[in-house]
Amino acid sequence: MQPFRIALAGNPNSGKTTIYNALTGTRQHVGNYAGVTVERKTGRLLIDGLDIEVVDLPGIYSLSSSSIEGKVAAMELHESKIDLILNVLDAGNLQRNLYLTTQLGELGIPMLMVFNMADDAKKRGFVFDIAKLQRFFGAPIVETIGHTEQGIDELTATIAKMLRGELAIKRLPFRYNKAVDEAIESLTERIDALEGKDETKFPPRYLAIKLLENDSQVMELPFLTPLLPEVSEVNQRLNALTGLESDILMADCRYGLIAGACREAVAVKKNNRREISDSIDKVVTSRLLGVPIFLVIMFLVFAFTFNCGAPLCDLIEQAIGSLADAIDSLWSDDSLPFLKSLVINGIIGGVGGVLMFLPNLLLLFTAIAFLEGTGYMNRAAFVMDGFMHRFGLHGKSFIPMLLGFGCTVPAVMATRTIESQKDRLTTIMVLPLISCGARLPIYTLFIPALFKQPWRPVVLWSLYIIGIVISLIAARVLKSTLFKGDDEVFVMELPPYRMPTLKGILFDLGERTMVYLQKAGTIILAASIILFIVNSLPVKPGCSRAELAKVKETQGAEAYAKLRLEAAQYTIGGRIGFLLAKPMSLAGFQDKDGNPDWKGSSALIGAFAAKELFVSQLAILNSVDDYEDNGITQLKDKLARQYTPLSGFCIMLYCLIAMPCIGTVAVVKRETNSWTFALAQLAGLTFLAWLSATLVFQIGSLF
Amino acid sequence: MSSFGISSSLEDYLEAIAELVELNGHAHTKDIAERLKIKMPSVTNALQSLASRGLIVYQSHSPVTLTASGALRAAIIRNRHVAMRVFFSEILKLDPEEADDAACKIEHVIGEKVMSRLVFLAEAITSRQDCESLRSFLDEIMPQLHSDEDDELIPLSELDEGQRAIVGLVSDSLKGKKKFAELGLVRGTLLQMEGRAPFGDLLRIKVLCCSLSLRAKDASQIWVKPTKDLV
Repeated sequence: MQPFRIALAGNPNSGKTTIYNALTGTRQHVGNYAGVTVERKTGRLLIDGLDIEVVDLPGIYSLSSSSIEGKVAAMELHESKIDLILNVLDAGNLQRNLYLTTQLGELGIPMLMVFNMADDAKKRGFVFDIAKLQRFFGAPIVETIGHTEQGIDELTATIAKMLRGELAIKRLPFRYNKAVDEAIESLTERIDALEGKDETKFPPRYLAIKLLENDSQVMELPFLTPLLPEVSEVNQRLNALTGLESDILMADCRYGLIAGACREAVAVKKNNRREISDSIDKVVTSRLLGVPIFLVIMFLVFAFTFNCGAPLCDLIEQAIGSLADAIDSLWSDDSLPFLKSLVINGIIGGVGGVLMFLPNLLLLFTAIAFLEGTGYMNRAAFVMDGFMHRFGLHGKSFIPMLLGFGCTVPAVMATRTIESQKDRLTTIMVLPLISCGARLPIYTLFIPALFKQPWRPVVLWSLYIIGIVISLIAARVLKSTLFKGDDEVFVMELPPYRMPTLKGILFDLGERTMVYLQKAGTIILAASIILFIVNSLPVKPGCSRAELAKVKETQGAEAYAKLRLEAAQYTIGGRIGFLLAKPMSLAGFQDKDGNPDWKGSSALIGAFAAKELFVSQLAILNSVDDYEDNGITQLKDKLARQYTPLSGFCIMLYCLIAMPCIGTVAVVKRETNSWTFALAQLAGLTFLAWLSATLVFQIGSLF
Repeated sequence: MSSFGISSSLEDYLEAIAELVELNGHAHTKDIAERLKIKMPSVTNALQSLASRGLIVYQSHSPVTLTASGALRAAIIRNRHVAMRVFFSEILKLDPEEADDAACKIEHVIGEKVMSRLVFLAEAITSRQDCESLRSFLDEIMPQLHSDEDDELIPLSELDEGQRAIVGLVSDSLKGKKKFAELGLVRGTLLQMEGRAPFGDLLRIKVLCCSLSLRAKDASQIWVKPTKDLV
């Protein structure tokens, strides 16, 4: 038997996701709608023998095609078989939430209304006449409290009853006002008489209303074309009669209808208690304290991330080290030495290097999931908007930029909350300029090697600031040239503060972590293998591993190191390094004597795979074994001998700005749906990096 | 140009003279000037022009009287004015003063053809039996349209913090007005200004139990009527 399908629909912040998680638990699947960057979440629900697929539609305020989410939701509701709509409403904010209900009610699909956060509504003094509301909207109502999962059992029981056809409430068409109703009815009749109305599952009445709303998605249906002249005539008449243009006429009617329903069925017990949420906001978003509070919270987020993360990172580093050692001792050097080296140095070294930042990332994601759950993130966007707006970004660009300090990949994905396509592209374009976690190893390698205290924190801090400043300038430039103008109005809801649930945070965290691990598991794994090959092939005659080991034994460490360097130069990576060395030396990639530094240039190939691979690549080229004792210390010594502080700074600057890693390129391509943007970003940033590093180096060399 | 072959200002003269004649039996140049708030020399010019068309009898130093054809034309002009006034007050439900004012303005700019048909329409609507339901519909709808309250509307962006207001009108030129409408910013919605963001550009309002933030630039195109109470 084909499973039943139910769709969850509701406003953003209505607690829809909590209900979805409560219903489906971990039986969830996250995908993407084809061609658009809207997540498609589905889950499985089993209620005594009924196999049900739950589709979690994106949070929307209306079904209209004015937003991507609305379009996607409408598409899902019409084009696939949906047996039941679960309309989740914030019971404390019923009027606004019912707007969507009036639209869903016209789809001709059975509907169940979930009055979520019923406790909150009660506290606010709302008393619902459930029976009346059920009759009015033609749908059963179940009250729930999402975060304590109260009412979920009743909800599943009601779902089962409705799917079995044991419970149904007769739905009468909504009555708006005389003129509009007559227009709807006459259009409905005309549609009913049209040939080809069977091509769609929309009920004629729904189509009629959508036509009156000038909904582009419906107006493009070919079989309705003959009706369009008549529709525009009707619209003109209604416009003259009401003074409202057709696109807002229906909104006006629906709110009128809702106001009427609420007058009859919702009583408000006079409650003068000032809401806690509002009192908090009086301080948190105030003109005077808003920004300082925001800065303090950000400081706490970073302190939490890095302080709690450090010991965990060490643990993982040790674990990876011992894994490499274990394989090394179990796998004899005689069998398949190349493969062994690939596994230990290439795969474990490469992927392990990325996994080392996982604790930091997880903690950053946790902090952000927590702040998002409380509702503070929208306040932060509100507070910061004035500042960001000056640079052509807006308040919502801020969250991706914050995530960008962790990893650019989830940050690019987080830009989905930005409705305006132009603002979103601008944000994506400048995101790689925010120093991600993977650049930190480069900084922590070079800074202690080349700078003395007390300058170390200053240099580190300046690199972060330079990234932020360049990203803001770049945004400003992009916004006033390529992505000029606004294509979408800015409206943002500031939902009441809520205490996030542990479950909610964990689900959120789980999703983000999966994305990151997928990156580590696929792109970085592949890149690590390719890099290893690039760095070890072709093998110079007389420089195979066995021969090298022999030289080390017989002729001593110095001869060994020399030979190993020659072998490295002979590889593809070494040759590319030599090609790049000349132009890169202008940008500071040169040793103390001014000779072009092919090692640094060659290591940039590693940085393209993942920024942190720059470090392991440098280690290999400098004949330092990464996991040997004191490997990094040895490398630092070598670097201190090789580079001037100015060179070191320029190399770091170049790594900060240049070439987003391959994971970023892939995600930008996916999120912008265009190779052009991804490659233009790659080329643009690389050129910018070379230019800035060259400028700094050449000017710095004068002193 | 009206269909009378005389300019609309000459029509005004003819109308004024007819009214004065009705009142006093004759019309003095000085009275005409006073009535139309026009200077004497211009009046003299106009009167000569009317006299040359044979509409009035005009000799210096004696009162002006209408010729037979002048009296007829004046009657038609006044008739049109009354008809228009009826149309505005009975069909469009304007106040008597507003109706008179509107009639004055419109009577000169529409031709006889349009005028006569409008007059016929007004008569049909006000008297025919089969227009009964239309009459009651107009009675109900007309007074609601663009009522005088519109005058008190101020842009949403100019509300003081804490001030409440009711949405009166959303400007047609507001980009994304559908989105605002869907979030509850439609006529008659009660909202409250909650404050402005640091650096100024955003403001936040409470609409239907939830806080929304929007740009001041967009808010200035939403016109609201402040309520009296300050909370």
